[in-house]
Amino acid sequence: MSLRVENISKRFGAHDALRGVTLETHDGEFVVLLGPSGCGKSTLLRIIAGLEEPDQGAVRLQGRDITALDPSRRDVAMVFQGYALYPHMTVAENIGYPLRVRRRPSSEISAEVEKVAARLGLSHLLRNQPKQLSGGERQRVALARAIIRRPRAFLMDEPLSNLDSRLRIDMRAELKHLQHELGVVTLYVTHDQVEAMTLASRIAILKDGLLQQYATPHEIYHRPVNLFVAGFVGSPSMNLLPGHVESGFFRRAGLSIECSAGASRELTLGIRPEDVELSLIQQAPGWSAARVWVAEDLGNETLIRLSLDGAFITLRAPAGTRAEIDSLAWFRIRPEHVHWFDSKTTQAIRQWREL
Amino acid sequence: MKTILKYAAALLAITFALTPIYWLITISLKTEIDQFASPPLWFHFTPTLRHYEGIFAHDAFGRYFLNSLIVSTCSTLIALALGLPAAYGLARFRWPRDWANGISFWILSNRMLPPIVTIIPMFLMLRELRLLNSLAGLILVDVALNLPFVVWMMRGFVEDLPREIEEAAMLDGESRLGVLLRIVLPLVRPGLAATAVFCLIVAWNEFLFALILSQTESAMTLPVGIASHVTQYEIQWGAMSAAGVVAILPVLIFASAAQRYFVRGLSLGAIKG
Repeated sequence: MSLRVENISKRFGAHDALRGVTLETHDGEFVVLLGPSGCGKSTLLRIIAGLEEPDQGAVRLQGRDITALDPSRRDVAMVFQGYALYPHMTVAENIGYPLRVRRRPSSEISAEVEKVAARLGLSHLLRNQPKQLSGGERQRVALARAIIRRPRAFLMDEPLSNLDSRLRIDMRAELKHLQHELGVVTLYVTHDQVEAMTLASRIAILKDGLLQQYATPHEIYHRPVNLFVAGFVGSPSMNLLPGHVESGFFRRAGLSIECSAGASRELTLGIRPEDVELSLIQQAPGWSAARVWVAEDLGNETLIRLSLDGAFITLRAPAGTRAEIDSLAWFRIRPEHVHWFDSKTTQAIRQWREL
Repeated sequence: MKTILKYAAALLAITFALTPIYWLITISLKTEIDQFASPPLWFHFTPTLRHYEGIFAHDAFGRYFLNSLIVSTCSTLIALALGLPAAYGLARFRWPRDWANGISFWILSNRMLPPIVTIIPMFLMLRELRLLNSLAGLILVDVALNLPFVVWMMRGFVEDLPREIEEAAMLDGESRLGVLLRIVLPLVRPGLAATAVFCLIVAWNEFLFALILSQTESAMTLPVGIASHVTQYEIQWGAMSAAGVVAILPVLIFASAAQRYFVRGLSLGAIKG
């Protein structure tokens, strides 16, 4: 238990930014806070950093209650979205700043700065001013400044979102490797679910200030707890089809599938695009017909979107599948991969005895 | 055609602004007879340095000059030292509701008061403090005069800084005071320089309070000293003009030295990065 937030709530005026969020991390874990903008994830990070005060709840770092501590005394490092480099200092001064504040001897500071700079490939830029650097280089300087003093925790607020997409993927991999080497617990805020899936050892999904699910990427992908998580994670996202269950069958326009729910009720069927099979020739019973709405050839696979009486079903087909727009196609939902959700409560249904 | 018009307009504006200065300089170099020649002698007169010799021979002039120097620099430094932390607090601390704006406006409203209405209270207060006829008293008054302006200007400059930079410094282990001194202060330097020039000029030219609050030669500033050449029997135009020219010089030198900052200060944004 290295970093723990307990029952954190925060209001801004009439807006509830966070409502009773509790999270616990293991040593050296990489936790990603994921959610749409305005879900409270940045606020939670800022509360842990000490830049905002929670209305309620506590923050503990390695067993110590740091809720009332100044940001400067928490021994956490933060990387900001805009990098927040000191414009009046050189790269070397920026990186060495946390040590200078701690009044370390200058010989030690410059030795440490050189070590960290070498590690992040910044050695040739040490005398430059931040404004002379590219976005990726600034990002590295911000990282270097965060790691130089070996803090108890790293906080990162969308650190990659200002980079162009190729650089972002490189930096993502680099960041994950670096975090593994340093073994310091890291809290990382993003709204990008791909970033979250690739980086995290566990993902905390937030919506409207409420923690939705806190689990490994695998668990989140394969066992989403509610409709929001199901729809938010995965690209293309899970197909969600509302319908009605009666006498052992889930029915909606154009689709009928066996369902073991006992009583009649409103359900939503969730199925990942890779769990839908496609056939361009007519098939035996168990397959449903639909019109091809669009086919997107991605090279390694083809994404096909079928139009099903006012709804769409997206599926992954093998590369080179030739489906003409508006032609007729047949699809089959693999029953063992279906996720069921209660349409009213939006919660996932794991066992039918919940009825 | 358009450029010609533009230059003509600029030339007109410059002439309008500089003619009095030219007049001041020529008067300071003319003999009394030439000063009153009609039509006025714009260019053809025999220059003389007599008036300059006169004022420098007059012991008190050096005293006035030094007094002005002490009063304006001290009052500017104090106003900046007090005003910047106040501005930072108003810009950055969490205030209940709209207090930051309310307090700022109240501070600024002190500048809206015509200074002359405060002169009697000021006089009485300084008398109680035994600071009449002293430089310390004048410095105090000039600080009070300039402080609202410093707070108002610097609050804007601080607010223009990205908050993230200060937050990063705090997480790096810096205290609030450290943030103010090592992060904010270097970053608002252009704005601070522009504000300092303004304060210096106001204090250097301040006449009303200096006239009322310092009656003795040892505490008189230049503007008051110059005006004392208006005597019961004659107005010593030559000596006054020569003193005026000398009084303009420090402001001129300082303003041109700080011009780079001045332009940047008024059009900030260069520090974002």
